[in-house]
Amino acid sequence: MLGAGATAAAAAAMAHDGASGVEQGALPGTESHPFYGEHQAGISTPPQDHLVFTSFDVTARTPVELQLVLAKWSAAMAELTSGDPVGKVEPARANAVPGDTGEADGMGPNGLTLTLGFGPSLFDGRFGLEPFKPAGFGPLPAMAGESLDPAMTGGDLCIQACANDPQVAYHAVRNLARMARTSVKTRWTVLGFGRASAGANQSTPRNLMGFKDGTRNITTGEDFAQHVWVGDEAGQPWMAGGSYLVARKIHMMIETWDEDPINDQQSIFGRSKQEGAPLSGTREHDVPDFHAAAAGGDAPAIPADSHIALAAHENNGGTKILRRGYNFTDGLDAVGRLDAGLMFLSFQRDPEQFVSLQRRLGASDRLNEYIRHVGSGVFAVPGGLPAAGSYYGKEFFTK
Amino acid sequence: MPSLSPATSIPARRTAPALVAGAAVLALALAGCGGATAGSSSTASGDGAPVANGAAQISVSVEKVDGEDQCVPDFSAAPAGPVTFTVANKDASGVSEVELLSDKRILGERENIIPGLGAVSFTVTLAGGEYQLYCPGATAETQPFTVTGEAANAAAGGVTSLLAEGTAGYAKYVSGQVDSLVLAAAALQKAVDSGDVQASQEAYAAARPFFERIEPVAESFPDLDPALDLRVADVEPGTKWTGFHPLEKDLFEAKAITADSKALAAGIVANVATLKTLTGELESSDAYKPEELANGASGLLEEVQSSKITGEEEAYSRLDLVDFAANIEGSQQAFEYLKPALEEIDPGLTKQISAQFETVNAALASYQDPAALGGWKAYTDELKASDGAKLTALIQALQAPLAKISEKVATA
Repeated sequence: MLGAGATAAAAAAMAHDGASGVEQGALPGTESHPFYGEHQAGISTPPQDHLVFTSFDVTARTPVELQLVLAKWSAAMAELTSGDPVGKVEPARANAVPGDTGEADGMGPNGLTLTLGFGPSLFDGRFGLEPFKPAGFGPLPAMAGESLDPAMTGGDLCIQACANDPQVAYHAVRNLARMARTSVKTRWTVLGFGRASAGANQSTPRNLMGFKDGTRNITTGEDFAQHVWVGDEAGQPWMAGGSYLVARKIHMMIETWDEDPINDQQSIFGRSKQEGAPLSGTREHDVPDFHAAAAGGDAPAIPADSHIALAAHENNGGTKILRRGYNFTDGLDAVGRLDAGLMFLSFQRDPEQFVSLQRRLGASDRLNEYIRHVGSGVFAVPGGLPAAGSYYGKEFFTK
Repeated sequence: MPSLSPATSIPARRTAPALVAGAAVLALALAGCGGATAGSSSTASGDGAPVANGAAQISVSVEKVDGEDQCVPDFSAAPAGPVTFTVANKDASGVSEVELLSDKRILGERENIIPGLGAVSFTVTLAGGEYQLYCPGATAETQPFTVTGEAANAAAGGVTSLLAEGTAGYAKYVSGQVDSLVLAAAALQKAVDSGDVQASQEAYAAARPFFERIEPVAESFPDLDPALDLRVADVEPGTKWTGFHPLEKDLFEAKAITADSKALAAGIVANVATLKTLTGELESSDAYKPEELANGASGLLEEVQSSKITGEEEAYSRLDLVDFAANIEGSQQAFEYLKPALEEIDPGLTKQISAQFETVNAALASYQDPAALGGWKAYTDELKASDGAKLTALIQALQAPLAKISEKVATA
């Protein structure tokens, strides 16, 4: 049922933004985000409606091949985010193979952003990149509440493609993978069909448990500077203006959750379901009061082991992360349950921000009964490219 | 073969490829060094280009000017003889390759002309005539290029004659495979007629590779391929299933030889004889076109992905890896016959494809098993589950560059 709903939603989005656009007055898909700038797009960009997240293994054996991939991708990303194809959809010569696969032809940029990250494994000895590894960068430590599938964990490179139309995002990743096929292999991929985090000036969307997600997300420039953007502490000029991306594929036990009584659901999250208000208040954006007592008792209104209490910056030494997750579904799992959940994506200045929060959540979050972390990755996201003629990782190859 | 116009028979410079290939690789390693001429003049000088190092030197600058991706040579003319095009992309993300065309034939080209990477160059030897510099993706994609001086003698070799040698060589290869198939089919019939199931299984496994290596040629005869190689899922209801696979079913599933089995073996012999007649005609009439070899080479990899890795081809015998290896071998043979010409046209791509074939062959070697029927491990469900994705990635990485050669060698 959920799978069918997602398909219908995708179909509706396509009809809405599709190439014809006849039903609408406005031009379809014209929203675009600048590709060049101090930071990569797709981080502080207000979350678009759809996600294709893909992690890659580099199969190339020489630095020159890797250099070519990064240069090709950088140029192609500039084209794709402008809504342009990456080669001829219909070449003039009869024997030519189309350069662009064509399924997004005429759909416009549709708010597409493409965000590139480097996994810790890229900096092993294969390409001589050890000197370029950011200080302290490594795989995430094992944590409670995980049952990670190696097939959905790690990767040398990742691309986060977000767009207001799923086909535009899919097209971008498909073509980037295609043009690098001799040098990289897709390792794992997740299609997110609905945003599950709010950006600045966005209404708060809901995760598949039916709760609003991202109410207290990072939105201000000060918070971005303090919690998201990397400065010179990585010891790598290419990381200045960059960030660290943590990706966690979180499977939800949706059917059992659905049968859980509302008071239990609300106390697990620490918020009311419809309004999304903290249990200490009445409105969504009321600041949670973790000391307020529940009516008629001494117990705190927001249980100490609720999700928001464990994750709140007030209870974590001020630690904040930028959440940019998406709901996903993969149909049914091997034992017939809905295979769905949250593709949790967060950006932070230091992966340790995520690790410290997740350690707390993994140890005592009551939500753990209903979720499993099944996929995982951490990626160093370089700063933005200044202008055409530059490419990600250029510093790795110029002495 | 099409009639030769002066422009399509330009002899390529035989000494150039090694030098050119080296230059391309070097340029990549030296990323960041600019190769374009200073300034951003948007029109080429009509004067002949200066000659240095024995070749006319043309700088092609690719850059964004007023929001448009420009691709412009500094000179639009050169004297007949070797001409070196040095291409640098400053910041035009939409352009990644430059080709020199005569009519629609590619005489020389470079891919991976990416902003931020160093300049790359290629050298072609040109006779007097009109050419086009083609930059796919540029705002003005085609720039005229004139060569002054002698027109070439139509008989003078170059890429065209290398391609002709290649197609003739491939025609002989196909005929050789079909000759072997005729013998193998006869042996299969003999074994089946004797009623010996095990001997028949062995003869079946021995015959398959000869067909699988040249499958695209067999497929070009619309009645013959289905008569010989149809899988059960593709049989039209109401029509009779013939060829290798119903016999495979008898030998490997039922493990019993019936009168029907014998009729199937006889049918294979008859159809293979027809295939020999038809491929002989192709050889004697020089009918193969270079682009057909190229498409065949790529088509065989398509076969590998769509029916061998899935285990659908040899569903009863599990001999899919036997066919897989034969498809790869046939694909590589077609490529090898095009290679001398392709090295002139695009040495970088040629090198890349050769390297990918090596990777595939090295990976395939681990599946060899002299003790197994056909010399390759049985493609069991377990092997498919554990190795299918790996094999797919391997073949896709080969097919991606291989699919590009068709347009480069096309004679049309």
